[in-house]
Amino acid sequence: MNQPSASGDAAQGATAAELREVILAVDGVTEVYPARPLWQTIAGAARSAVTGDPLPAVLVEFAGDTAHVRTRIGVSGARPAPDVARSVAGAIRAHLGPRPATVQVQIVQVRSEAKPAGEST
Amino acid sequence: MSTSGDTFECGHSLEQLSNYLDTGEFSDPGHLPDCPECQAGLASLRRLGELGDELVTADLAAAGNGTDDWMQSILDNLRLELRPGRDIPVHAGTAGDILTETEGSISALIRSVTDSHPGTAAGKCRLDGDVGTPGAPVTVRVDVAVVFGHPLEERAAALRRDIAAALARHTELNIAAIDVTVADVLEPRLQGAPAAWTSRPPQPSEETP
Amino acid sequence: MTGSPPAPDHFDLVPDALLAGRAADGDTAAFEALARRHGPLMRASARRLTGSLADADDVVQESLVQAWKQLNTLRDPAAVKGWLLRITGSRSIDHLRRRKNHTALGTVEDSVAAVSGPAEGGNPESAALNGSRMEALKAALAALPEEQRRCWVLKQFNDQSYEEIAQTLNISTASVRGRLARARVTLAREMEGWQ
Repeated sequence: MNQPSASGDAAQGATAAELREVILAVDGVTEVYPARPLWQTIAGAARSAVTGDPLPAVLVEFAGDTAHVRTRIGVSGARPAPDVARSVAGAIRAHLGPRPATVQVQIVQVRSEAKPAGEST
Repeated sequence: MSTSGDTFECGHSLEQLSNYLDTGEFSDPGHLPDCPECQAGLASLRRLGELGDELVTADLAAAGNGTDDWMQSILDNLRLELRPGRDIPVHAGTAGDILTETEGSISALIRSVTDSHPGTAAGKCRLDGDVGTPGAPVTVRVDVAVVFGHPLEERAAALRRDIAAALARHTELNIAAIDVTVADVLEPRLQGAPAAWTSRPPQPSEETP
Repeated sequence: MTGSPPAPDHFDLVPDALLAGRAADGDTAAFEALARRHGPLMRASARRLTGSLADADDVVQESLVQAWKQLNTLRDPAAVKGWLLRITGSRSIDHLRRRKNHTALGTVEDSVAAVSGPAEGGNPESAALNGSRMEALKAALAALPEEQRRCWVLKQFNDQSYEEIAQTLNISTASVRGRLARARVTLAREMEGWQ
């Protein structure tokens, strides 16, 4: 794992923030959750409380030229969840451009929409 | 006037009375009814206790309701963190991408579909089978509580249909069967009154395979 | 057929012991019902102990996380309320210890005083002028030494025994007895103007 420099950290942060916006813009996505579960980020949360830096929601790590992206999302149920996951992965790749990337998308919440009219109980 | 002991003329102290009110223990119980100082001390402590109760009541009122937003967001966070369960794969458009859904998100979906049926509330929900292998057969098992008087067979069939539809839409799982078990029956007391919980064990005919 | 309310209302009338039993089995709906039922008291207690509205909500969430993980250690399901409050007390004290290392307490708006009334910095006499016994108690409580206040809140709000308080604060039972009594002596004396 490479050691990011201060400017590398900033680049990572910027990409993570951009990707968060990109993911939220995908049709069917309702929320982007922190990529690492709560208990793993308590130290990070404490640090960010002191520094005022926001917690990155999307995990972006650069290994050489390749970007490794991980995100956890909630979806609205308006579109089939698998389609949304694929759209999110596509949107991430589109944003990163020609740079090689591995993408992991995990759906942690699927809201169920109201029953369509006409279905009997 | 001493501070920590607040000793009375009779030799006892407010500290001892405080302990007595909490535990009922007192070195010389026969002394209490006859000692005006101790009685006054007990009265004072009891008044403080009542005032303390008032504070708890006031603070409790200020803390809001268990159905408020603050609790809802705590519970939302809990659900995310505590019951993710296994990863359920979703076919990726690009080789090398890993797309998954958590078992917890699908259980929550099934419960939500169940809860939206009138007179039905979801209990435990399980996905039996190797959900991690695409195409492996999976059996859904969900416990429900129903309000007494609803036609169970019909309800179970409708529920199975809706669960199947939701899973077909939002997962790529191979659903082999959906088991709906009526685990509890709620008996409505009066028209319009909230249903009472009876914990009546379900009769064999109420269980649908 | 009229619609029935969703799951949460169905659980309103189920006794604690039943809910705790189901929750220990993994029934998240039952656990959520317990959380909703006892959450407000957990929150009130955490607010009094930490003095911070934001910290209190964190404490409630952490307490529920811990409770869920340790449900199978609860020997008496009927006693789940006291058990939840004990966890809340411990986590509140943990928060206070951690905060000492980080100093910053937060804005005045975040403080418990902002919600429950201006007792911070006030004294019992001025609260008396406002004609409020409750304000006088809050002021007296805020003026207590920290260790005495914790004992008093854990007894009054969380209804813990001396042994339980001793465990939560990592002190002896005798210390609890002494601090609690001293807190009450002080508070009772302050409140004497209100008899």
